[in-house]
Amino acid sequence: MYGNLIDALPAVLSLGNILAVVVGVIAGICVGALPGLSATMAISVLIPFTFGMDPLVALGMMAGIYNGAMYGGSIPAVLLRIPGTPAAVATSFDGYPMAQQGRGGYALQVAVVSSALGGIASALVLMLLAPPLAKVTLLFGPTEIFWVAVFGMSAIVFLLGGDIIKGLISAAFGVFVSLIGVDTITGYERYTFGHLELLDGINIVVLLVGLYALPPAIGLLEEVRDFDTKNTGRLNTTSIWKAIPGMLKYWKTWLRSSVIGVFVGILPGAGGSMAAFLSYNEARRASKNPDDWGKGEPEGVAASETSNNADTAAALIPALTLGIPGTAVAAVMLGGLLIHGLQPGPMLFRDNPEIVFGFMWQFLFAAILLIFLGGALATNSFAQVLRLPRPLLGAIIIALVFIGVYSINNRMFDVYLMLGFGLIGYFMDKLKFPLPPVVLGLILGGFAEQNLRLALRIGGGDWSILASSPTAKVLIAMVLLVIVSPLVSRRLRARKASKVAG
Amino acid sequence: MLKRTLATILLSALSATAFADYPDKPITVVVGYSPGGGTDVLARVVGKYLEKALGDDASVVVKNQPGAGGQIGFTSVAEAKPDGYTLGTFNLPAALALTFDRHAAYDADSFDYIANVVHDPNTIVVSRNSPYHSLDELIEAAKAKPGSLSVALASLGGNDHFSALLMEAAAGVDFNLIPFEGASMARTTLMGGHVAVGTMALSQTVGFEDDLRVLAVLDDQRSSYAPDVPTAKEQGYDVEMGSYRGFVAPKGLPDALESRLEAAFRHLADNPDLRRELAAQGNSLDIVVGEDYRRLAEAQSDIAGDLWKHQPWK
Repeated sequence: MYGNLIDALPAVLSLGNILAVVVGVIAGICVGALPGLSATMAISVLIPFTFGMDPLVALGMMAGIYNGAMYGGSIPAVLLRIPGTPAAVATSFDGYPMAQQGRGGYALQVAVVSSALGGIASALVLMLLAPPLAKVTLLFGPTEIFWVAVFGMSAIVFLLGGDIIKGLISAAFGVFVSLIGVDTITGYERYTFGHLELLDGINIVVLLVGLYALPPAIGLLEEVRDFDTKNTGRLNTTSIWKAIPGMLKYWKTWLRSSVIGVFVGILPGAGGSMAAFLSYNEARRASKNPDDWGKGEPEGVAASETSNNADTAAALIPALTLGIPGTAVAAVMLGGLLIHGLQPGPMLFRDNPEIVFGFMWQFLFAAILLIFLGGALATNSFAQVLRLPRPLLGAIIIALVFIGVYSINNRMFDVYLMLGFGLIGYFMDKLKFPLPPVVLGLILGGFAEQNLRLALRIGGGDWSILASSPTAKVLIAMVLLVIVSPLVSRRLRARKASKVAG
Repeated sequence: MLKRTLATILLSALSATAFADYPDKPITVVVGYSPGGGTDVLARVVGKYLEKALGDDASVVVKNQPGAGGQIGFTSVAEAKPDGYTLGTFNLPAALALTFDRHAAYDADSFDYIANVVHDPNTIVVSRNSPYHSLDELIEAAKAKPGSLSVALASLGGNDHFSALLMEAAAGVDFNLIPFEGASMARTTLMGGHVAVGTMALSQTVGFEDDLRVLAVLDDQRSSYAPDVPTAKEQGYDVEMGSYRGFVAPKGLPDALESRLEAAFRHLADNPDLRRELAAQGNSLDIVVGEDYRRLAEAQSDIAGDLWKHQPWK
């Protein structure tokens, strides 16, 4: 198998194929950076054109777009507090405060280096460990996936923010949104009010753009006063090559977040946002100064960006070996493979090694190229966008968001829905309701509900199925650990404090 | 009177010349699923060959209108102008089955049936490590513990589901039906040993021969993809179910256009390149044109209607 890996290399290194990856990365950074446009959309647009293309050219562009977009999403997340992609939400927690403190340039450099490292780690795992990791995926049935969702929820309680009640209301709203649509198990329609468009539930991009992109864009429109455009266009950055040595202290975070990203990637149906949230939280728990997080801690940007890129190639492991598209992007990529007669499955690696392994190399190159293209070129040119008058910038973003949301399913209904969420998001913002719990409620709530019910159905209604497999038992132990350990450490700290006082 | 006749002659002459030019603008094929899905890829591949078969620089454009299990796309085809410039992919039995379980703005009579292209029979399949080696062993186990043998389905109310329901009726057993989101999720849970049986389409098992054991093909004859696997009929259970993917037009297509399109599809039936390209995706070419296709659709609709009456799926 590793021989195949080497055999596939020469074809990948041909000029046309390298160029495809370069073009893909640049295009990916652009669509990622534009709120409302996503990698899924860019690859869908590409699909019809790939017919006439050589498979490696088409796949190279896709790999480039996927990697580029995962980083590109962090650019508006840092500069404007508008995550360009769902997976960049956690990046804005610390990235935007850094930008407000005038360290936006450094935040973007941390983001691009972390993205590249996460992508490289992920590509290496895909190249070297895909078949054995596919066996790990098989261990996760509905029961186990349910526990992963519970683990995610219990680990991420901190996102509720300062006001627990408001945080819980936000989370409950997210769970409510996850209920909308046909219940896939019984077929009942929930809160669809007879609209066909609601039968499949609410696309996360529609919700996210409404909540996260519209309110800040409206905020930009509100800033009519003239301001100093001379200085904001510069991010006060040193060259990226000089900045890298200073970042080496994040190596632990890079490593931890890569592992988390890869793990979430091989789980069926989880996705990059969950990877980013989980690794942000783990990095914060491991940090010596957790109270500074959310106020401009570069390590927070590193954690989230490493893992959302570490999710990309890893998500292709279940996609290529089992045909499970873990994310919307992976689903479209599978279509790209199918068009060239490449059926996902174990045979893919045997029948078409030169293409499959070539594709993996391209993922690796795309991740490496991120440093050059993202770090050196794109970051500075996107910073120029900030020199635009704010109301104009706001108007452009709103127009982009309309196009992006319309193009998901080619219908206006989603645009209206997005506007509704925008209104909700605007008032949530003004009333200081935290937004991240809504996203988590939507992702994890739906995930937990569906898998719990599938598991119970498989077990014929017997709850003991939830603890029946070794994998499930390990996950339960992890959940308990996450819930109990803060309580214990708080008790210990309190005792120590009282001893000192006494 | 004379005026009217003249007008009619003039009109028909005009329209005849209009048809002669057909197609003088791109033909849109509405796909009710997302880009990159099985039906989408099929539409794009067949579209490519259809362009050649129609000649005259014909161009075929795919338009994705995903949602509600394809219903949004099917509805939009049914309501389009029957001018030959809007066609749609049509999935049987799903497209007509859903008209039984929820409100739909179309029925079997809302379309002109051009041609079916692909037929993909369902199977009864277990994991390689499963104790069951034949359909009889499986049925026996199901009889021993009614309602406990778990069967993974790709979705609720699709051909996977109907296969399981028909099998239940034919063998007089009760399965524990588990609808997943998508065929690949169902397959993965089956491979991981979390469920006992699957009813997925044969194309879904292609490439997974090392991990799965197909016990029966639910068709009237063995498939060229799995010539060693007996049909259910051979094993004493009269069950046939599968999915059909084809192309329809809105009702009221002018006859001239309909026969032009049907001829183009007939032309595809013996195209070795198309056959090979579809085979690479695990699909077998099965062109059924015009009136025969309509009868096929009506038969599928009747099967679904019958099931809905006796074993409602939701």
